[in-house]
Amino acid sequence: MQAKNVVTALGALYLCASPLAQAQTAPGLDNQVRIGMYYVHYFPKADDISGPFVPPGLNVGIQDVETLYLAYVRSLSPNWNLELAIGWPPLTRTEGKGPQYVGSVPYNGQVLSTARWFAPTLLLNYVFLDESNRLRPYVGLGVNYTRFYSRQSTAAGDAVSGGPTHLSLPSSVGPAATVGLAYHVSSRWSFYASYSVSQVHSKLTADTAGLIRTTDVEFWPTALVVSAAYAF
Amino acid sequence: MLIAALLAACGSDSSTSVVATSNARGTLMHDPPPRLASLTAAALTGELQSSTSGQQLLELAGTPACGVDFYYITYWTVGAAADPATATGALMVPTGAGAQCSGKRPIVLYAHGTTFDKNYNIADIANPANTEGALVAAMFAAQGFIVVAPNYAGYDASSLQYHPFLNADQQSKDMIDALAAGRTALPHTFGATASDSGELFITGYSEGGHVAMATHRALQALGQPVTAAAPMSGPYALEALVDAVFYGNVLIGSTAFSPMLVNSYQFSYGNVYKAPSQLYEPTFATTAVALLPSTTPLLTLFANNQLPESALFSNTPPATGNAALNQLLAVPSNPIFAAGFGPDNLITNDYRLEYVLDAVASPDGAIAGLPGAPVAANPQFPFRQDLKKNDLRNWIPHAPVLLCGGDKDPIVLYPVSTGAMAEYWGQFPLPPGLITIVDVNAPVTSASDPFAPLKTAFQQTFQQMVAQEGQVAAIESYHSTVAPFCTAAARAFFSQLL
Repeated sequence: MQAKNVVTALGALYLCASPLAQAQTAPGLDNQVRIGMYYVHYFPKADDISGPFVPPGLNVGIQDVETLYLAYVRSLSPNWNLELAIGWPPLTRTEGKGPQYVGSVPYNGQVLSTARWFAPTLLLNYVFLDESNRLRPYVGLGVNYTRFYSRQSTAAGDAVSGGPTHLSLPSSVGPAATVGLAYHVSSRWSFYASYSVSQVHSKLTADTAGLIRTTDVEFWPTALVVSAAYAF
Repeated sequence: MLIAALLAACGSDSSTSVVATSNARGTLMHDPPPRLASLTAAALTGELQSSTSGQQLLELAGTPACGVDFYYITYWTVGAAADPATATGALMVPTGAGAQCSGKRPIVLYAHGTTFDKNYNIADIANPANTEGALVAAMFAAQGFIVVAPNYAGYDASSLQYHPFLNADQQSKDMIDALAAGRTALPHTFGATASDSGELFITGYSEGGHVAMATHRALQALGQPVTAAAPMSGPYALEALVDAVFYGNVLIGSTAFSPMLVNSYQFSYGNVYKAPSQLYEPTFATTAVALLPSTTPLLTLFANNQLPESALFSNTPPATGNAALNQLLAVPSNPIFAAGFGPDNLITNDYRLEYVLDAVASPDGAIAGLPGAPVAANPQFPFRQDLKKNDLRNWIPHAPVLLCGGDKDPIVLYPVSTGAMAEYWGQFPLPPGLITIVDVNAPVTSASDPFAPLKTAFQQTFQQMVAQEGQVAAIESYHSTVAPFCTAAARAFFSQLL
């Protein structure tokens, strides 16, 4: 489903771009805003959940999300820019990985908790080729800050944990990197496609009536982004 | 601006249960309490079928009719000095669609037997060592009884630094407080399909037998209703039992039970000894104090020489110059009791002699064979005064009572426990049916004996153990062998009153 969406988006990008491909990036337009879509896939690495009354082998995974991509880009030179990217905070769903049941309570594949991510990323990008090229690949390095909020244990999560559960998931700061391709349709309009990865590390702590269970999680979100940009 | 807009979509985080601010007795600390496990009837059956002991339990308890949810309750109670303390326990709630699994259900308030493991938690059904929890779940909760079972103050996550072992006043308060907390929690459990019918049954095994009877007595004194009680294999006539030990009938496990009792009464009353060396031999005078219950396994404590494995008394008894007294103090011929004597013993000869002299001067009626088996009239030795204080031969129940045990029990001697209590109550003109005594090792009394199948099953089991393991090994495990049969007798007794 996600792959299909991406192909559709890229197709739309091509169809929209081809008849308008007449101009390159204009000098003096140092500011740019972008809007598009994030397609986020996680490669989580989590320790098995530990704590009192936790059977061995319980782990967690994260379901993929799609969300709105917004960015402001400031050109520093013909080949360097600074990108502040942010996604509309997606509702991420943590699901159980492990046995089908804990006792008689379903576990594997159950959505145990949800949280929203406020995750701005600041990237210093190097853009290859000069401004006369319509197609310009770029690479970037930067830093990601992720704050988790609206952390909710679901009914399935409460059933596994044993009751109403408070979740703690401290903020994360980690490196981020991106590779991308810009297609300049006109002096002001462009389209972008990029692939980014960032390191997001946190410690999930669940408090169920004083019983504290934890797991260290590296989320490793990877994001495919397609966006349209306007320079001014 | 953007950030403000993004965060405007914030919802609040989910929260956990409410933490009580009061430390009044019986207050549930976390409401609702956490559920540690949830097993359907089929899953519970499967768990039990996966082990030999579980299969035997299924035969006695029957196929589970209900699933069971296991909740872990934490509540406020008191220590021996009425000082506020926390304790933990189990609330087992039947689940499922069957008529006997939902709606108004009776409560069984269960008191567990002695454990030397300070981390013991009867609610942790996933722990394979928690056989008593499995027994209670299969016998009661899976058949539609709501179960409240405290771990006791001094165990698990309790704030009390000692366990008031066989302290009738404290332990009955602990039970009553656990019951109050369990009743508070019940409406807030998952689904909350089972509710309190108001019928209350009290039972427990070994130490728990004493606790169950003390709790029945306490609730009756408070005017709170008890439907029936079934104390099992408990040291109700505590003074008589300990007198028997000091006379030389050393029980299996005495080198562990004694420090538990001494520790409890020293904390409770401060009069068991003035200095540990008055009671304990020098080898153990520092190690045995406040040792039990412990997070270190008992076998490790033995291996580390922190306690002797079996020698409670010296195999060179005190020489008194009095032939009759010397005879009382001699190493007994019974090999089970004689195993309690040795060269590296726990309790000093002087302490034993002082105790026995007091027992001779003010004899316990069950030991002396006095009618009605009364407690000693006027004990002077402080430790015996403590035992008398916690002896239960001082009340008459208003609600039906079943006493169950086995007459060859080498840990809680039947004649000076169940037998003594039966004789004490037997002297009063009580209504027929108020007191029922079941010795699972006794012959079937008649064709209408309601406990005939249990007696037959127990005796067959014991004979099989003798054949397979030998007489000594079978006797050594006799106390624990009796437990499921008496628990089945208790359930049958309770069920006929519903």
